[in-house]
Amino acid sequence: MAIGADKLAWFLGLCGALSQVGSLSAGETDKPAAPPAGRQADPSTATFAKDVLPFLQAHCYHCHGNGKHEAELTLDQYRDDASLQQNRKVWDNVLHMIRSGEMPPKPRPRPMADEIEHATQSIDAVLASFDCTQNKNVGRVTLRRLNRAEYNNTIRDLVGIDFQPAADFPADDVGYGFDNIGDVLSTTPLLLEKYLTAAETIFEKAIFIPEPVEAKDIRLEEFRVTRAAGETTDGGAALYGKGEDGKGEVYAETTLDEGDYIVRVQAYAKQLGDEKVKATLRVNREAVKEFEIAADDRDAEQILEARIRVKSGAARIALALENPFSHPDSTEDAPNRRLLLMRGMVLDGPYDPPPPPAPEVHRRLMAHAADLAPREAAREIVTRFAARAFRRPVKPEEVESILRIYDLAEKEGESFEERVRLALCRVLVSPHFLFRIELDPADAKAGEAYPIGEYELASRLSYFLWSTLPDEELLGLAAQGELRKNLDAQVARMLKDDKSAALVQNFAGQWLTLRKLDQVSPDKTEFPLWDDSLRRAMRRETELFFEAILREDRSIFDFLNADFTFVNGRLAYHYGISGVLGREFQRVAVPPNRGGLLTQASILTITSNPTRTSPVKRGKWVLEQLLGTPPPPPPPDIPELPPKGELKGSLRKVMEQHRENAICASCHARMDPIGFAFENYDAIGSWREKDGEFPIDASGQLPDGQAFRGPGELKTILQGKKELFARALTEKMLTYALGRGLEYYDKCAVDEIVAKLEKNDYRLSKLVAETIRSEPFQKRTATGEMQ
Amino acid sequence: MTTSGQISRRAVLSRRAVLRGVGTVMALPLLESLLPRVRAAEAEANAAEHPRRMAFIYVPNGVHMQDWTPAQEGTDFELPAILQPLAAHQKDLLVLSGLTCDKGRPNGDGAGDHARASSAFLTGAQARKTAGANFRSGVSADQIAAQKLGDRTRLASLELGVEAFRGSGNCDSGYSCVYEHTLAWRNATTPLPTEVNPKLIFERLFSDRPNDPDRVKRGRLRASVLDAVLDDAQRLESRLGGADRQKLDQYLSSVRDLEDRIQRAEKLPPVVLPLGTQKPQELPADLTEHFHLISDLLVLALQTDVTRVVTYMFGREGSEQKYSMVGVNEGHHSITHHQGKPELQAKIKAINTFHIEQLAYLLAKLKAIPEGTGTLLDNCLVAYGSAIADGNAHAHGDLPVLLAGRGGGTVQPGRHIRYESETPLNNLWLAMLDRFGCRAEQLGDSTGTLGRLA
Repeated sequence: MAIGADKLAWFLGLCGALSQVGSLSAGETDKPAAPPAGRQADPSTATFAKDVLPFLQAHCYHCHGNGKHEAELTLDQYRDDASLQQNRKVWDNVLHMIRSGEMPPKPRPRPMADEIEHATQSIDAVLASFDCTQNKNVGRVTLRRLNRAEYNNTIRDLVGIDFQPAADFPADDVGYGFDNIGDVLSTTPLLLEKYLTAAETIFEKAIFIPEPVEAKDIRLEEFRVTRAAGETTDGGAALYGKGEDGKGEVYAETTLDEGDYIVRVQAYAKQLGDEKVKATLRVNREAVKEFEIAADDRDAEQILEARIRVKSGAARIALALENPFSHPDSTEDAPNRRLLLMRGMVLDGPYDPPPPPAPEVHRRLMAHAADLAPREAAREIVTRFAARAFRRPVKPEEVESILRIYDLAEKEGESFEERVRLALCRVLVSPHFLFRIELDPADAKAGEAYPIGEYELASRLSYFLWSTLPDEELLGLAAQGELRKNLDAQVARMLKDDKSAALVQNFAGQWLTLRKLDQVSPDKTEFPLWDDSLRRAMRRETELFFEAILREDRSIFDFLNADFTFVNGRLAYHYGISGVLGREFQRVAVPPNRGGLLTQASILTITSNPTRTSPVKRGKWVLEQLLGTPPPPPPPDIPELPPKGELKGSLRKVMEQHRENAICASCHARMDPIGFAFENYDAIGSWREKDGEFPIDASGQLPDGQAFRGPGELKTILQGKKELFARALTEKMLTYALGRGLEYYDKCAVDEIVAKLEKNDYRLSKLVAETIRSEPFQKRTATGEMQ
Repeated sequence: MTTSGQISRRAVLSRRAVLRGVGTVMALPLLESLLPRVRAAEAEANAAEHPRRMAFIYVPNGVHMQDWTPAQEGTDFELPAILQPLAAHQKDLLVLSGLTCDKGRPNGDGAGDHARASSAFLTGAQARKTAGANFRSGVSADQIAAQKLGDRTRLASLELGVEAFRGSGNCDSGYSCVYEHTLAWRNATTPLPTEVNPKLIFERLFSDRPNDPDRVKRGRLRASVLDAVLDDAQRLESRLGGADRQKLDQYLSSVRDLEDRIQRAEKLPPVVLPLGTQKPQELPADLTEHFHLISDLLVLALQTDVTRVVTYMFGREGSEQKYSMVGVNEGHHSITHHQGKPELQAKIKAINTFHIEQLAYLLAKLKAIPEGTGTLLDNCLVAYGSAIADGNAHAHGDLPVLLAGRGGGTVQPGRHIRYESETPLNNLWLAMLDRFGCRAEQLGDSTGTLGRLA
């Protein structure tokens, strides 16, 4: 196996005897390590029957074979190379148990060291020799529920309100290092209740139902009478003429909101002559209604009532006498004339005010063709929304089913808006929205791979790169069946879009375990400069750094070392960079002793203890996150460090004494030296020359004999591990992109991506594109279970 | 003077407006007669009896056993240093020694004692060693009770915690994080997550908005929404295969559960909150205050009979919580690997004592609430403990276990009982279930019902 040998050698040496020298140097990727002594598995020829079986017979079948199956493990059911490859997880576990020394357990005899070495290397070799030319398995991701980040983003893009409704949801479970793994994401009654409540809240915000405006009585005061039309009285007026211009009246001015008002005027008259007093109600100088005043007694006054409609603004409500009349005996000193006595005006309203202008989000959601019956309008609204929410076209019968809740709400007397709200709520609680559903075609045969549909592809793309639903362009292409044909252009477009910040937050945040920054709490006495703004700045630096490598088509090896980074004033001070002030981040050349992820304060801090650095954690982080070769967990019953003679000296000295213990040594010889290279950075990533009173010694030697002095030289060694690093990153990205753990057969897809990556200068954008082009991303294996 | 238009418009009360008016503080007079009454079924059995309630409290990373286990057995025992804060409650307390959580042990699965411990505490089941895809534990004791008693209350059970951090990736030597932060398992594959936010817990407890005049209609419409999506899921299920179907089954049972709950809530009388009850705010910054708030909510939930079954994690297993209020600035788990160093053991003891103070706070609250002729605590059984004894050695035998309360007179507290070594912890859970009318023949690795409690 050409590809994978470097990783293999690295891994094989991981917990093997210290004398073992792995092929860690660059340029030796094609050859397995030269055996120093004893038998050495040759990856090209190791077979189960020849190299593994004898060991199992001698040491394992006693409990896990020959009819016994301790811990539900029956090893003699595996008889050939293929059965190992197809049950990789079982065998990874077996390897782990043998390597960690947990198996065979006491009091079974312990196998010889070289026996263990040969057997474990051979199992590795058999697992790695999986033949990709015969592989048709592209895997099958389990139905993925939207996780919290995806839910938030999806609602943002679907409804148009960004208010993080998932903040209250229970945290998503994590598998294979990521929180978007279909198998692991579960649904509980609590979560479902949150979904329902979130949906209700979303539409309470998005669909606007105006508060009914309370109608109230407005008693008008401050009456005026136009010249020569009459006189004001206490709280009213007495009219006797039409005024100088014939338009005389008593009026009051007020300010009203638009709507209908019922005007009520209390009036009576002093009748004179052969007709009753006539009065006209005027609004804004327009006659509204004419009344004949019958009442002629103050104690039996008449209510003149009219319904008027006004626009918002100033309103002038007036009453005029239509038929002034003076008796012939009337004189100026002793007038005898018809009188219209107005005793008060009240406005009752507004009724039927125009709806307040709905917010834009409401108008967009509720838009429908004009002149539709309400249910038809609802159908149009629901159809459009459901298609977006389900990320595919919806069938008329699906819409009809959704509208049943609309009908029900109508029977309950709910308003149109309330009915639509409920129907849309139902969409957001539907499994078609909450899960990313991929259905096998009807004719798919069990075990066969088929290309997923274009809509399904659109969703896979958008949730991978954006953590949200596909936009109009993706759906448009899918509708025409043109998405696959335009894949590269679409991926390039999507990466340029701001929404690809989700890839940084969610993929990089989890690959680099940046989310742990929220949890660390460096000791304030030890690190008085630590605070939340530094915490945020650290995280932002690494995010911007990842983003730059992605958007600028840079090589993935820039992660290990680069001549630029991003700092704001706070972080610049932390790094000793002068001339950067303020909260904004800017791109700067790295100061001496920095460059790449490993010297960023974020990574240095999350791999430290609260009071001190942890070379073990730093070493483990490099092995696990960057190189994909995690050390096995510590064995059970870790022996106590010798109590006699307290361990003395620098942290490094203490740890070296610790490693004198053979049980600890095998793994710590891998982790600790890597960590020591970064001892010049304290537990929050500041540069230091001393650890307490002890000068820092940042030199070390890897188990393969490669020596280094300081982080720079270690980074050079790591950069030489091209294949190992590229492969590890590819596996992480494929896991995230697919939403499932990788299986033995995915090795083939990983091989291909890594090969293409190598041909393209290891550009990160290429890694993304090739991940999308890979078979497991493009296809799915049918279960053959559907009818 | 009133027009008909006026009448009809003004009669429409805005439901939203009403809802906005309530919800922040609901203060109603506290009257014994208004407190949730014994539900009809039980009333028949014993009109005077108040419902029995149970709570299970888990502490992570074991305790310093030397200062936990009383030297004497029986009624006349002295409280060791860690248990001193319980002095006022000694007569309400059983110290149970000798119990074992065997399924916390490797049993061939190697490292991962923390994940196994919390997962096995209430299940007695061996967690499947997996970092994700196919995690599997067993049904937990509280959920046996929840399934039998759940239809009598608004919530069948309540899962509480104080630690929001849930870890990412493989949490313990190849075990999924879910094992470390879950006590309650509805079944072997459905963990029930803990809620740590006091505000959200309050909303969950009283979510059916008891003062909403449209409560019943709202419940009816919500139930209809759920009914409709249930239909979606059932149609979909026939078109899915394999693991997809399992995921959808989880969804289906969650929908049914919620629907049942909404319909049940309609039939139950409205919840009456004690005078002066305030809706708590978001996560408090101070850890002690956080403990107090969660404990207050636990008491409130039992007092108002919103649920009768509660689990409460004082921390996730393997927790690295810092307890600076008692002078511990290192992570909890880190220091439990004390390697015999006295200064580390002193810190562990300080944390253990802090946790017992929190238990004492809770018990005092339960005791302060009169119920019938006694107190709420008299009708409770509160189990407290860990599935790890000494954290340094990851020991799973001779565990620290307490049982407080009288379980409605079914338990005789005030004693230290030592059981035969290796007695399964699950035998205790069977004994508790028995006292709640939820007799189970077998649970996880139980071998029988624990005796000598009464």
